[in-house]
Amino acid sequence: MGGGAMPEAGHGRRKRRALDANVNVVPAIDLLSCCISFLLFTAVWTQIGRLQTAPLGNGAPAESQPTKSITVTLTIGQNGYVLATSAGTQIEIPLSGRTSDGAVLYDLKALEERLKKLKVDFPDQAAITVAADDAVLYADLVHTIDACVGAGLANVSVMGAS
Amino acid sequence: MLRGRKSTNADLNVVPMVDMMTMLVIFLLQQFSATGEVLFMQKDIKLPDARHGQQIEVAPVVAISAAQVVISGQRVAEVAEVEKDPSQIIGNLVEKLRDEKKRWDFIHQNDQDREKNWKGEVNVQADVRVPFRIVRRVMASAAEAGYGNVNLATVEESTVAAAAAARAPR
Repeated sequence: MGGGAMPEAGHGRRKRRALDANVNVVPAIDLLSCCISFLLFTAVWTQIGRLQTAPLGNGAPAESQPTKSITVTLTIGQNGYVLATSAGTQIEIPLSGRTSDGAVLYDLKALEERLKKLKVDFPDQAAITVAADDAVLYADLVHTIDACVGAGLANVSVMGAS
Repeated sequence: MLRGRKSTNADLNVVPMVDMMTMLVIFLLQQFSATGEVLFMQKDIKLPDARHGQQIEVAPVVAISAAQVVISGQRVAEVAEVEKDPSQIIGNLVEKLRDEKKRWDFIHQNDQDREKNWKGEVNVQADVRVPFRIVRRVMASAAEAGYGNVNLATVEESTVAAAAAARAPR
């Protein structure tokens, strides 16, 4: 292990002690091997996250509305998004296209921009209701909720559009 | 005359090995999750990716694949049956979730702040292709059983990107 300076040849009477020392690293290797085995066994390789939502109605906890806020409803349908607020605005965000197998492609970028703009206009706003059509796929619902959370609207309630 | 034999003692330099093991331990400690594996990845369920997901917590897991609805490893309904059923809730699922709640109540019966500590969380692990009409019934069933917070399980986007990079041809 780490080498030290070689002692100079002593000319004096007293013999100097050698600075080199051997450190026994075997226990350290044993400990590290045990640690690695334990950590490999208990490792979680897939990082799974969660998006917290509350089903609207049916005993869902009451939403705590801040003082300066509005009701925001985002409807996901087969023609795209409709972002409506209690302030009277209603913005339609059409689909960005369809895949070759006919599946709809939602315009998430446009939605994110609209939500960010809404958050700038109403900084206290944290609640949003997502109303999804029955045919909407789970992946599209999750991506929409993710966009809402990313824009700062973390208090997401989910309900059916029909 | 005897020829001088070479010494059989050899010093093995273990420093690089110790360095490597130390780096490995540090890497694995960074990856370590005290919560453990809450959800087990299933072959018939592909989770959607999300960028803003929080860390998942221990709660009853409702898995929805294209064919069936499963809670804690027990099948409660077939998706085809749920689609035909006009009811907005899944009876067997409500029953199982109520059992889970009773179990939680029993475990925490001596807890003074039992009502306060009850979060009512349930993890929903659904396949990307599952339509919302199924997820909606699962959520309504959870709410009916007293679980008002539904966590939608997602895969963190960084994990998805790493897996895609590993699969990409070189």
